[in-house]
Amino acid sequence: MDRPDSRLTRRAALGGIGTVLASGGVIYGASRLDSGSSESTGAQFHRSTESTDFGIDLQGHPIMGSPDASLDLYYWSDYQCPFCRRFERETLPELVENHVRTGTVRIVFIEYPYLSEASMTAAVMDRCVWRQVRDEEPSRYWPWHSAVFEAQGEKGSGWASRSNLLDITRQVKDIDAAAVDTCMWQRGREIESSIRADVEQAATFDIRGSPAFIIFDTASEAAGKLVGAQPYDRFETAISRIQNA
Amino acid sequence: MSGSALGAHVSRLGAAVGYPLATPRRALVTAAFAVATYCLLVLSTFPTYSMQMLGAGPGYVDDALLALTANTYRTVGGTGLGLIVVYAVATGVALTTTVARVRDAGPTGARSLWSVLPGLVASGCASCGAGVLGLLGFVGALAAMPFDGNLLRLGGIALLVGYLSRVGHPRRCELAPTGDEA
Repeated sequence: MDRPDSRLTRRAALGGIGTVLASGGVIYGASRLDSGSSESTGAQFHRSTESTDFGIDLQGHPIMGSPDASLDLYYWSDYQCPFCRRFERETLPELVENHVRTGTVRIVFIEYPYLSEASMTAAVMDRCVWRQVRDEEPSRYWPWHSAVFEAQGEKGSGWASRSNLLDITRQVKDIDAAAVDTCMWQRGREIESSIRADVEQAATFDIRGSPAFIIFDTASEAAGKLVGAQPYDRFETAISRIQNA
Repeated sequence: MSGSALGAHVSRLGAAVGYPLATPRRALVTAAFAVATYCLLVLSTFPTYSMQMLGAGPGYVDDALLALTANTYRTVGGTGLGLIVVYAVATGVALTTTVARVRDAGPTGARSLWSVLPGLVASGCASCGAGVLGLLGFVGALAAMPFDGNLLRLGGIALLVGYLSRVGHPRRCELAPTGDEA
């Protein structure tokens, strides 16, 4: 009677060890999957006070690319969202190189803070930085935007606290962190309310997570939606499809 | 619970976990159930993304699994991802033992299918629930869950472990858990 039970005990122990190894392997693999860093885009930014035919009010949003681009890419993101960082690292550089710098696509950055209160803090600071640079040298926005995504830590770890984000801002050349802090005190509520309106509008486009994208042809008014950090060729296919619609 | 009752539960749990490893075929079936469960849970953390990627062709399945595994790790941490793997393995064991019980015991064993369901559903909901809730319009559901849903995942795993410690070896009589194999 003892022998089968001891065999079972050994098997159970083997099962336990196997489960621990499988968990460790998956966790280690997952921790290595997100390495790399985003590159500088070199693309131009501009501001606009218009609303697009798709219904996006461009006021307050950083816009990358040519004002005359035939396609708009509306990009909803949260600074605390790891999938957004993955998109910025792995897909955005190629998208900028092949479609934004060539003048075909312009990207409209829309804040979609939904993961925690710190997401809203980062979103409001984003708008304050944009307000500071949009008139004179809008391309100064990009180093700040990239620096924050590069500094992304675990949600709830405090990395997106106001003080830490201001520390990050101080390290970004040509951004006045003190002015950003003042903007957050003085305009924070107003900006927050406009961001909440953007989040509500996103829901009307059936956007439920980030990153999310809508590609819109300004001439034909054809539009298509992509969700998540999809590989570059999926964007390439979607752009071709909208252009040929 | 008395010491002997606890000992019996631990013994039955050991028997249940050991059963799938008794033959290479069972181990393979258990691994297949576990991998399928893991894929299902990870893909359902972001259903709209998964649907678009899978809809684009089978060539994107690995992309989607790797991207969502990395995303899950960054979102709920190593603990959360580890719990998902443990849940997948526990599900593999539970399904293998349940299938064996149903095959051997017929309709009586089929009742085991119903008893395993609460654990499967509870932990499954914790693992993929945020994505599904997001799909239903409850954006930020993950943020609202205690410990990013890890507590619920742990609860689900506890239910599964409870199920396994109750049923024990699928080929032994329930009334005489220390008896010989059938």
